[in-house]
Amino acid sequence: MSASQSAVRSRAEAVKVSRTFDWLIMFTLFFVILGGYHVHFMLVAGDWDFWSDWKDRRLWVTVLPIMGITFPAAVQAILWWRYRIPFGATLSVLGLLFGEWVNRYFNFWGWTYFPINFVFPSQLVPGAIVLDVVLLVSGSMQLTAVIGGLGFGLLFYPGNWPVMAPLHLPVEYNGMMMTLADLSGYHYVRTGMPEYIRMVEKGTLRTFGKDVAPVSAFFSGFVSIIVYFLWHFFGRWFGSTAFTKGS
Amino acid sequence: MKLIKDGIAKLSFVALLVTVTAAMFYAPTASAHGEKSQAAFMRMRTIHWYDLNWSKDIVPVNDTMTVTGKFHVFAGWPETVAKPEISFLNIGIPGPVFIRAGSWIGGQLVPRSVTLELGETYEFKVLLKARRPGDWHVHSMMNVKDGGPIIGPGKWVTITGSMSQFTNPITTLTGQTIDLENWNLGNIYFWHAFWYAFGIAYIAYWARKPVFVPRLIACEAGKHDTLISAMDKKVGIGFMVATLAIVAVTMESTNAQYPITTPLQAGLLRGMKPIEMPARTVAVKVDSATYRVPGRAMQMTLTVTNNGDSSVRLGEFMTASVRFLDPAVHEDDTGYPDDLLAEEGLTVSDNSPLAPGQTRTMEVTASDAAWEVYRLADLIYDPDSRFAGLLFFTDEAGNRQMVTIDAPLIPSFI
Ligand SMILES: [Cu+2]
Repeated sequence: MSASQSAVRSRAEAVKVSRTFDWLIMFTLFFVILGGYHVHFMLVAGDWDFWSDWKDRRLWVTVLPIMGITFPAAVQAILWWRYRIPFGATLSVLGLLFGEWVNRYFNFWGWTYFPINFVFPSQLVPGAIVLDVVLLVSGSMQLTAVIGGLGFGLLFYPGNWPVMAPLHLPVEYNGMMMTLADLSGYHYVRTGMPEYIRMVEKGTLRTFGKDVAPVSAFFSGFVSIIVYFLWHFFGRWFGSTAFTKGS
Repeated sequence: MKLIKDGIAKLSFVALLVTVTAAMFYAPTASAHGEKSQAAFMRMRTIHWYDLNWSKDIVPVNDTMTVTGKFHVFAGWPETVAKPEISFLNIGIPGPVFIRAGSWIGGQLVPRSVTLELGETYEFKVLLKARRPGDWHVHSMMNVKDGGPIIGPGKWVTITGSMSQFTNPITTLTGQTIDLENWNLGNIYFWHAFWYAFGIAYIAYWARKPVFVPRLIACEAGKHDTLISAMDKKVGIGFMVATLAIVAVTMESTNAQYPITTPLQAGLLRGMKPIEMPARTVAVKVDSATYRVPGRAMQMTLTVTNNGDSSVRLGEFMTASVRFLDPAVHEDDTGYPDDLLAEEGLTVSDNSPLAPGQTRTMEVTASDAAWEVYRLADLIYDPDSRFAGLLFFTDEAGNRQMVTIDAPLIPSFI
């Protein structure tokens, strides 16, 4: 068979082959992103995402979007600039959440018996949708970074609040006040994690009084913008075909 | 050549799968069996756990038991270990097989980290509620920031019954009674499923017709702009508006449903109340101490002075949770773990009652296989070859008095 000869003979067949490619690529991409993103997230956001008694109004709100926007930015860069596909961020986040849920359900609950209501992952989908749509509509990397990045940071806390609020009900326990999330952390013994490791409500944003979460969210959004740029260029570089030219 | 290529392709696929799955297999460490691997000087010169009591050997699910006792924070705390300024009273169990229903130091609840003072002795209590059936080794445990975990003695406790019967009812300050074991679970699953489906719907819109091949071809031909239609943008905006609306509405409805919430609570607890120890009436001076490697025995020459008004006898030497007893003076009836108890491990050259005002020099030998089993003998390879421990003297009325000792140790290899 000569190289110039097409492998497909009809339009229907071309579509079929193209579809097969889609599934293959989508499947591989999903799991490759999942693997990389999940490892990255465990290393940099680890405990803040593992335990509900770490999910405070300062560091959780600040750290997670900043560390979470990395892979979505890079994958967007590849899918958008090479294919004009506007779901890079959503695909990344769904990959991460899939990996996290498998890990939390089978290891944290199935193997070590921590209740799921103590070890469920954080929600990132709303921010990812906004990131994707801003890129789709504007077609601009700068605008996506600024509006999308800020949105990614700002949507994190409200996007998670419906599942977090019930864990922040106050309890009086043997003469001390704590939230249900604190109580989970106290009840469900983590031998390897003494209480002092927990980084809760620490930081210098105290001057804003009661409204710490919005301030943290804005701060997180601003840093997310910078991180977006950085990882977008990683993605561009990674997705370039400069080194395979001529094939 | 093709064979090699195929081989590489296969291998890299396997490598990929391994990487992907590796991350999913991360599980928080559940084991608490570091006790023997911890450096001997850590166990001898930091925190001494004594008068321990495990209230039960067998506990049905939902029943409680306590681990109580005292711990002495050693005044000769090693330089190489951070001082216990930020410490946490933990419990050494393999994950949440029990829940920690309460823990107290000197009567104060300690769900958070505390400051401990060197040289003081504290009373502690940990209340455990059985959750998962099995045989579990239950250790007392203190975590010291920058110093690591200091594990006390462990005892086997059996939990019977079924974990499915376990409940953890809690009444909140807003008046609701909930089961913390599964509270909020439906809500968590619902919202995670909802947003996952929402994300899939967004991707499905783009994947309804061939995705990668035609788009790549068009992009390579420079026709990027033809790939996004006005309709596509409208749908995208629709998804974004829906996202923002859902987030805003659920935020509002959540606040309406839970008007009272509090932030996570944290912070160091200071001022733990130590036990008011009665004035020490027995003074001990360590003249010399030798560890005989072949005999697995430690020999000490002690000069003991009784300044009290009742005669005393040396009943016990305890170090790193291993207790050496002279059965003629003291027998253990608390059910202390066998492997840590040398019931006849202590021999004293002259252990007749030491009358008030008297001073005597005695040869004390503490010998047991535990020196090897618990790797206490490794002490002789430490950079600072010292040993430390507690001596317990028993008076005529049966009261026990604790005296700490801390001295250099010379190994003897013959
Ligand atoms: Cu053990």
